[in-house]
Amino acid sequence: MSLFRFELRKLLLNKKTLILLLCLFALYSVVGLTSTMFLIGGNDSYRAYEELAADWEGPFDSEKAAEAEKIYQEVSARYGTDARMISRSVKDQPEIILAVNYHAYAERVAEYWNGTPSESAEEPYGIALLQGKIAELESQGKQDSFDYRELSASMKRLKDLGEPEFANALLWENLFNNWGEHMMQFLLFVPLTFVIAPVFSVERSSGMDNLILSSRNGRRKIVTAKLLSVLAASTVVVALYLAATFLFGFLPHGSFHGWDAAIQSIPTYARSMFPWKVWQLAASGAAWLIFTGMVYSLIICFISSRMKSQMGTAGVSLAILFVNVGLAAMGDTMTQRLGMLVDFGLANVTLMKEVFGGYKGFNVFGTYVSYPVMAVFVLAAIAATAAFGAYLGQKSRAVV
Amino acid sequence: MELQLEAVTKNYKNKQVLKGISLTMSAGVYGLLGPNGAGKTTLIRILADVLRPTNGCVLYDGKDIHSVGDEYRAKIGYLPQDVSFYGNFTGRDYLEYSAALKGMEKACAKKRIEELARSVGLWDDLKRKCAAYSGGMQRRLGIAQALLDDPEILILDEPTSGLDPYERIKFRNIISAYAKERLVLLSTHIVSDVEHIAAQIMMMENGSIQHIHTGGEYVQIMEGRVWLAEMPAEQLVEYQNQAVLSNVRAKNDCMEVRIIADTKPVPGAVQAIPTLEDAYLYLFNYLPGKAGR
Repeated sequence: MSLFRFELRKLLLNKKTLILLLCLFALYSVVGLTSTMFLIGGNDSYRAYEELAADWEGPFDSEKAAEAEKIYQEVSARYGTDARMISRSVKDQPEIILAVNYHAYAERVAEYWNGTPSESAEEPYGIALLQGKIAELESQGKQDSFDYRELSASMKRLKDLGEPEFANALLWENLFNNWGEHMMQFLLFVPLTFVIAPVFSVERSSGMDNLILSSRNGRRKIVTAKLLSVLAASTVVVALYLAATFLFGFLPHGSFHGWDAAIQSIPTYARSMFPWKVWQLAASGAAWLIFTGMVYSLIICFISSRMKSQMGTAGVSLAILFVNVGLAAMGDTMTQRLGMLVDFGLANVTLMKEVFGGYKGFNVFGTYVSYPVMAVFVLAAIAATAAFGAYLGQKSRAVV
Repeated sequence: MELQLEAVTKNYKNKQVLKGISLTMSAGVYGLLGPNGAGKTTLIRILADVLRPTNGCVLYDGKDIHSVGDEYRAKIGYLPQDVSFYGNFTGRDYLEYSAALKGMEKACAKKRIEELARSVGLWDDLKRKCAAYSGGMQRRLGIAQALLDDPEILILDEPTSGLDPYERIKFRNIISAYAKERLVLLSTHIVSDVEHIAAQIMMMENGSIQHIHTGGEYVQIMEGRVWLAEMPAEQLVEYQNQAVLSNVRAKNDCMEVRIIADTKPVPGAVQAIPTLEDAYLYLFNYLPGKAGR
């Protein structure tokens, strides 16, 4: 007899949760659909954009950049400088959207070579900027320092990646926004909280603790079964989000164009250190969301093992999530003050753009460790602690 | 097989619910009688390992049950006072889940579930949701659950509450047949539940076990202390506040009263054959004022 099967049924495969999942799928489908519809006008507009962009794709072209700049100046005078806002305002004019996107691309190319004046000291970017900093350290004889090694590694990666190319990955960009913005945390992690919250606390509220705690497998094996069911339930909910936003993000325009472009052609991932194609980022992003969903679920699971009610568990879990989102939203000042707490807080670490979109690294005993690698370790440690805590909680649990 | 309690104490905040209980039990049926709030359920929960004592310990064959852990729990079957269910589980689901918790093999569990479902009269209802079961059916399902893996130690807390007289008799027969070479502890405040089947009956009050005797010994204690008397209804109204009465029955134009008393309580009273219920009332001095606690 498999305890896992029963635990999964209690958590996921029951009428109430299945109805909730159905509603969530509908909600996520609407999110995917509306985001792609707002991106650009109807299907005709997208087709026109795709045809126009086909001529502009490839390495940087200064003539096209000048042409785009001219259009951008005219448009920004009317609609402001925010590219997304402009796109929404002129969504039936693909040639303007293209010009605005090429203008943004030209700025990214300039950043690639020169960096930007307000460059963060923690995350330097741009060939010239890096060269300058490296030369400065060399002149000080600090070739053995961590900073030197980090900058050199960044420089090598940047050179290996080469100058970004322009590509039409509009629909993928939209998908990654759906997968990697704070809105996702509300749409995905809030419902996930309510799905996972009962995992242990339901035993108290249902009175089943008596039966479970007095049985042979009620102190250890049941925790394993519950943890596995939590991981499975979390995967299902996240997969539902990923599938719905993917399906309904691409369905209206019937195109996967840009799937094999370099991820650096997408503005959010322009500074990514990964030499990936767009489809590889999509796969990695999906895997990352599933992983972070699992970790968050294990945290909820631990809280549930200590709480008497499902609502209490959900409340504490959501409070943790919202505090993290709040801290992350407070920007660089808070990041500098709280450092790792914000960097590896749920809000940042669950966003694929934070993990795969930057150059950030950490000094671990003098060794450069990239943010994604650190994130995996930190999340794995949190997950292991939560699981261990759940085992300990069940071991000492008593009926009251 | 021996189950031993050594100075077991349980405190809830400032209230001492169990007061240093020491006791040794081996194979056989033990009845645990006591009024509400005596500490029976707390004691039962400690023996079922779902509650830890504040002080003292429970030894199974000389080993602390906490150190034995899974191995001890594998030997017990426990029916809690309130049997609970998941709303979406059928009777079969509940028993299969219990079997999984007890670590039973699938084939063995299936066979045993069939046997027990027939034995407790739930065979035709196994496919129904537990939530739709009547109180008696839920209780019978709980009993089946407790017996599922043929436990060496069976701990039953108020097993017959909600059962009708036929079901209660049937339950007693099941337990009697089951009890050979096993330890059955049956906590109840229904005296007749233990009267016929318990080899030893423990009477518990205020967190301690006050008496342990066989049913026959309790009856012996009561020899000469149970009286039958007849009195008019008006006299009974006043009299019942001063004496322990185990029964009152209307008889013709007066009342026949069964009185527990060390000496002849009223003129004309005659001695009656004592029962365990009489002993329960006598030993706990069940005067009406006390009963109202």
